[in-house]
Amino acid sequence: MITEKPPYLGFGLGLRPQHYQEILDGNPAIDWFEIISENYLIEGGQPLHMLDQIVERYPVVMHGVSLSIASTAPLDLAYLGALKTLAKRVKPKWISDHLCWTGVHGVNLHDLLPIPYTEEALNHVVDRVGQVQDFLGRRLTLENVSSYVTFGQSEMTEWEFVSEVAKRADCWLLFDVNNVYVSAFNHGFSTNEFLHGVPRERVVQFHVAGHSHEESHIIDTHDHPVCPEVWDFYRETVAHFGPVSTMIERDDNIPPLAELVDELDHARSIARDVLGARALADKRLVAAE
Amino acid sequence: MKSLKELQDTFQRGILAGDDAILDEVNDSDKEQRKVLFGVYRHAYVARLAEILNDDYEQLHAYLGDQAFARRVKPYIAANPSDQRSARWFGRHLPAFVKNSEGFAKHPEAAEIAQLEKALADAFDGPDADPLGIEALAALAPEAWPNLVLEPHPTVIRLTFRTNAADIWSALKDEEEPPKPEHLTEPQAIAVWRQDFMARFRPLSTEEAMMWDEAVHGVRFGVLCEMVATFGGEDGAELRAATYLKGWVDTGMLAGCRTA
Repeated sequence: MITEKPPYLGFGLGLRPQHYQEILDGNPAIDWFEIISENYLIEGGQPLHMLDQIVERYPVVMHGVSLSIASTAPLDLAYLGALKTLAKRVKPKWISDHLCWTGVHGVNLHDLLPIPYTEEALNHVVDRVGQVQDFLGRRLTLENVSSYVTFGQSEMTEWEFVSEVAKRADCWLLFDVNNVYVSAFNHGFSTNEFLHGVPRERVVQFHVAGHSHEESHIIDTHDHPVCPEVWDFYRETVAHFGPVSTMIERDDNIPPLAELVDELDHARSIARDVLGARALADKRLVAAE
Repeated sequence: MKSLKELQDTFQRGILAGDDAILDEVNDSDKEQRKVLFGVYRHAYVARLAEILNDDYEQLHAYLGDQAFARRVKPYIAANPSDQRSARWFGRHLPAFVKNSEGFAKHPEAAEIAQLEKALADAFDGPDADPLGIEALAALAPEAWPNLVLEPHPTVIRLTFRTNAADIWSALKDEEEPPKPEHLTEPQAIAVWRQDFMARFRPLSTEEAMMWDEAVHGVRFGVLCEMVATFGGEDGAELRAATYLKGWVDTGMLAGCRTA
């Protein structure tokens, strides 16, 4: 089991097929890329060929959407095996997925579904994270999701649940800034309580993304630029956690690469503003060693 | 209190079957009722899968139009819950579904357009293999040729169409007015495969299709030439067979050869 904390990578983007050629032709100022693991669980062809070239030039992390760690259905060993094979090819700095479930009875609902925050669910998830980490031979990184409902049976807050999973299962956390913002709005909790409620030493990555506001609730759509309120919360997040690998997530209405690079520069400027250029540079040097 | 397993069963039924029992387990928010909030999951499920089918069957969608396509998509989603980790495979049953759908008996071209789109997608990310180079054949001794056995590229998919679906697909792809659907008097043989990372297809003549189908079953080149002679006449049979073979090599339809 790899036990040391993954390196600080700087400011990255999600790798999307629309941008493959531009990235390879231009070597844009992007520090690293996150791939959606499922998109590369294929036999061959252009996507894997492009990925191989990106991997040669940039650090890459693998981000899954269907591990279904909180599902009561058995773990899918064929999927885990495929993930492990892909990891051998990509050599990711870490492998992440979501603290959620995606279906039961052999069905995949292709959504990140919420968990009741109970002791029972906690024990179940901790046990499963342990099994997955043993299988992959490395620590897993888990992301908090956006949710639209809460359960009557919940016994603790989301951040208490997330923190307990991380501590008991000994895994890393991906702190999704937008998801905290969305869930805080939907369920009426304070983003700051969540921010200060999770163990700092466990957080290895941030996601920043856009969403859709429906007045009474917010939907996590990843199809808009990051809004000012989420940037404000990102500022607080960086001030609290210090330098953590940051990534802009865009899954729909994908704009030209230059627009995403501009958004990434905005994240950089916030981090520089909050921490000072020196702190970021020092951290990069440490990571390089 | 429901167990986690019971809760997930109820939640999933709430999405797939519209069962409202889940509403007893979730809370209203300060700003919204639980039915609306749970509705976000119900709506997202159908919308996401419909979008996947739109992306995977772009030309079928263009051919049928928004309304007729949506009328097929809804029952498909209801009848085929996704059973794969990747959404890439969700639409794989659509060609058969369209073929067997009510109202499509008179429009067999729709299912064939879907079949072509699925084959192109499968060729696009199918297994890798280096294409057979012409130099490998050039190096063969003349006496080795009759015993030559060809290996197809693993992405090649052979289709047989009874309609002009391929022409309709091509016109739609080029954003041109598609030809009227026709039932062909002779079925049309189509080969789909990947060359230089691009999925492509082309019609084969009945003779070329016959030779290809025999070749990929391991029939030796000498016998293939005899079959071509029987099929299309002895005059120039070897030249025709060699021309087909050169076409396959030039466009990456073969991945190897050996002498039996």
